[in-house]
Amino acid sequence: MNFRFFISVFLFPFIGMLAQVPSFNIPPADQNSSLREMKDRNSSSTVNVVPKRSSIAETIERAGKDLTNSEIGRRVGAAKLLGKYRSSGTSVLLVGALDDESPLVRRAAMVSLAEHASNGTVVYDKSLVEKIYSKLGDPDVEVRREVSAMIPRIIPVMMRSGMEVVEINGRRVYRSVQSKMRSDLFDMTQRAFLDDDAIVRQNILKYHTYLGVPLPTSSLEKLLSDSDHGVLLTALSRISSSASQANIVRRVKELSKHSDKGIRLKVVSVARDVNRYHTDYRGILRDMTGDSDPEVLSMAAVELARFGERVPQQIVEKIRIFLLSVDGLSTQVSTILYAVSALGVDGVSVYRSLTEHSSSKIRTIAWQRFISLSDGWKDSSLWMPAMQDRDKAVRTAVLNVLQGRTNDLTEAELSKLVNNKFSDVRIFAAQALLNAKQDAVDSVGFDLLIDEDTIVRSTTIRAMSARKVPGWVTILSRSLLDDDYVIQRAAMDGLLEDKEKGVPALIKYVTKYPQTRISNLARNELNKLGIKI
Amino acid sequence: MKKNLYFLILFFFSATFLIGQTAGQSKDGSVRIVQLLRQDNSIRRYPDALPSLLKMMNEQTNAHFDTDPLFISSFTDARLLENPILYINCDEQPNLEFPKEEQDALRYYMEQGGFVYLDAGIKASFLGADLGHSYAAWEERPEVKELFYEVFPEKTFIPLARDHDLFRTFFRGLPKNEDLKIQANQKRLPETVLTFVEREKWPQATYSFVGMKVKGRLACVASPICAMGWGRDEFGAWIPPISFRIRESAENFDQNLKLASFSGGTYEVTREDGLKDIIYSENGQRPLWVKEPNGSWRIFKYYSGEEISNYAHAFYSRLGMNVFLYALLH
Repeated sequence: MNFRFFISVFLFPFIGMLAQVPSFNIPPADQNSSLREMKDRNSSSTVNVVPKRSSIAETIERAGKDLTNSEIGRRVGAAKLLGKYRSSGTSVLLVGALDDESPLVRRAAMVSLAEHASNGTVVYDKSLVEKIYSKLGDPDVEVRREVSAMIPRIIPVMMRSGMEVVEINGRRVYRSVQSKMRSDLFDMTQRAFLDDDAIVRQNILKYHTYLGVPLPTSSLEKLLSDSDHGVLLTALSRISSSASQANIVRRVKELSKHSDKGIRLKVVSVARDVNRYHTDYRGILRDMTGDSDPEVLSMAAVELARFGERVPQQIVEKIRIFLLSVDGLSTQVSTILYAVSALGVDGVSVYRSLTEHSSSKIRTIAWQRFISLSDGWKDSSLWMPAMQDRDKAVRTAVLNVLQGRTNDLTEAELSKLVNNKFSDVRIFAAQALLNAKQDAVDSVGFDLLIDEDTIVRSTTIRAMSARKVPGWVTILSRSLLDDDYVIQRAAMDGLLEDKEKGVPALIKYVTKYPQTRISNLARNELNKLGIKI
Repeated sequence: MKKNLYFLILFFFSATFLIGQTAGQSKDGSVRIVQLLRQDNSIRRYPDALPSLLKMMNEQTNAHFDTDPLFISSFTDARLLENPILYINCDEQPNLEFPKEEQDALRYYMEQGGFVYLDAGIKASFLGADLGHSYAAWEERPEVKELFYEVFPEKTFIPLARDHDLFRTFFRGLPKNEDLKIQANQKRLPETVLTFVEREKWPQATYSFVGMKVKGRLACVASPICAMGWGRDEFGAWIPPISFRIRESAENFDQNLKLASFSGGTYEVTREDGLKDIIYSENGQRPLWVKEPNGSWRIFKYYSGEEISNYAHAFYSRLGMNVFLYALLH
C-alpha cells in the first residue's frame, strides 16, 4: 500500500516532468541562421548543437550526390527534394535521373520536373526537353502518364524554331531552322496514340496538334472503338481532320448507338460540327431523333432545326415533354431550350407549356421567348398569368419585355395589375397609366395613389402629372405634404414641369412651409427657372 | 434495390421535413437548396458545381432535388424558412459579417430544423487568398468561428469523427474502378498517391469536417472547399482539373528536410488529433514540406493529370451527395 502511494505521489509526477522536458525543435526559418547551443540537462560536459540549415547550393549539391547513391531510397529522396529548388542546375540533375534503372527514381524525378514546370520554371535547353519528352516511351506507366500530362508545358521549348549558320562556298550563311520534332520522337508520339494506358492515349490525343504530329486515320479509327470513355470523348473531338473518311463516318454512326448517354450527346455535337464534311452526318442526327433518351433526342432534333430542317410534330412533342420533366436549367437543357426557337411556330407552343415549369430559370426564358415569338405583348391574356409568378426574377423579366409595348390597357386589365400582391407589378401598373385609356386611369388611379408601396405611389404621381389628369395640381400639391421624401420629390418634379399651374402651386407650398427638406430643394429648382423666393 | 427503397423512404421523410409552407419549393415536390449569395455581382466560385451535383443526385438516387438553387442575399429572406438546406460557399461571400437580425434569423433557421452546409468553411491559414485549394485542417476558418460565436455563443464546432454517418449516408468508401468507369486493370492513381489517399488523405472516403449540433441534431457542417469537385460538362466529363497534394517520405528525409535550405514562412495547421502540423512554405510556391507532431518530416508532392482529377471529382461528388442526403435524412 505504501509502495503504491510512493509511486503515485513521487514517481508519476517525476516521469511527467521528464515527459515535459522541451524537445529541441528546429527553430522557425527566420531564426534559423542563429546557432543555438543548449546544454544537456543530464550532463554538464556535452553540448547539443542544433544543426544549421544548409544554403541552397549545399542542399542541391548534397541531393545531387544522393542521386548517385547506391540505395534506391536515397536516390528517390534526392529526386523528390530537388523538385523544391527551381534552377537550371536542378533540372539537369533531374533529367539525368530520368535514366535511372529504378522506376521509383524516374517517377520521382519526373514529378519534380513537373513541379518545376507548374511553378513557372521552364527548361530552356531543347535537348533536355527532348530528353524529358523521350520518356513517353518509358516502360513505367506512371512515368509515361507524367510526361504526357506535361506536354503543354514543354511544347514551347521543344517546338522552338531557331537560326543556324552554315558555310556555303566559303561564305557564312544564316538560315532559319524550322520548328520540327525529332524523327524518333515523332515516331514515338505516333505509337503513343495507341499506348497501353488509357490516360496516356487520352493525353496524346489532347495535345498532338500542339506537337504538330498528325493523328493517322487508322489510329483514330481504333481510338473511336476505345473501351475508355475519356479516350472516346477526346477522340470524337479530334475527328475533324478525318471527318470525310467513310470509315470514320461509319464509326461515328456506330457510336451514335453507344450505351453511354454522354458519348451519344458528344456524337450529336460532333455530327453538327463536321456536318459540312460528309452528308451522312446529317443522317446520323436524323437517326438520333429516335434515341431512347429524351435529352439526346431533343439535342439531335434542335440541331436539325438549326440547319433549317422541319422537325416532325411527334418529335416536337417529345422535346416538350422532356423539357417539362427536367429538374432545372443545366448547360445541356439551356442549349435545347434556346434552340427551341429554331422549331418556328412549333417552338412557340413548347415555350408556352414551359411557362408553368417548376424551375424559375426555365420559366423566365420560356416567358421571354413566348412573348417575343408570339407578339404576346399585344394580348394581355397571354402575359397576365406571368404577373402571378411567385418568383420575382420571372416577373421582372416579363415586365422588361412588356415595358413600352403595352398601350391602351383597359380598365379591367389595369385593375388586375393594381390588385396584384406584388409591388413590382403594381409599379408596372402605375407606369402603364401613362398610355392607358382615360377611363381606366380615372378608375384605378386613386387606388394606386394610396398604395402601401412608396414607389407605386411616386410612380403614379409622376404618371398623373405627365398626363395632367383632372385635378392633378391638387393631387400633387397634397402630395407635397406627404411624410415620405420620395413622394414629395415626385410631386415637386411634376409641378415644376408646368409653369402655368404647377409652378405657382409649388411657390405657394414653399412660401407656406419654408423649412421643410423639399422646400430647400424646390427653392433651388425654382431659382434655376429665374424665380427667387 | 435496397438503396432505392431506402431513398424512397428517405424522400418521403424529407418531404415532411420542410419547415414551412412550400411556396419556395418546386411545384413537383422536389427539394430546393437555398444558396447564399450576398452580392449578385460577386465573383462566383464554381457556379455550375451545385446544379451539377444536384443533377447527379437525381440520377444516382431516388432523391428529387430541384437543380436550380434558390439564391438569397440575406438570412432574413422569408424563403429561407421554406427550404430545409442552406448551402454557403464561404469563398463566394464578400465577408462573413452579418447584422444582428441576420444572425438571429440564422439561429432561428437552425433551431427550426434547417441544415447549413458551409463549403470552404475550413481553410488552412497558409492558403491565404488562394481559393483553389482544399486542405484538410480540423478547425473552422476564423470568420466562421466569429460568426457562429455571435449566432450560438454557447456552442462550438466539433470535428466529425471518421465513423460519422455523414460519410456513409449513401456512398461508402473511395471510388473504385467501376465507379470511375475505367477498366478493372487500369491504374486509378499512382501507387504512392493511392496509398496516401487510402490511408491518410481520405480514409474510408472521409474528410476533415467540423459540425455544430443544435437541439441534439447536427445542424451545420463546415468543410474545406468541395464544390470544385462537383462540376461536369454536358457530356459527363469532369471539370475543372484538380491536382493532389500528397505527403511523401523517403530514406533519410527526417534529417534531410531538417537541414534543407528554406527561406519562407511557417504555419501551424490543426490536425485531426488536435495536434499541430508545421507547414513550411515558400513565397510564390506551393507549400514545401511539413513537420509532423511525432517529429517526422515529409515533403509535399503535387500530382496532376486526368486520372488524378477524375478520382478527386468522384470523391468530392460522392462526399457532397452524402452531405446533402444526410441533411435530408436527419
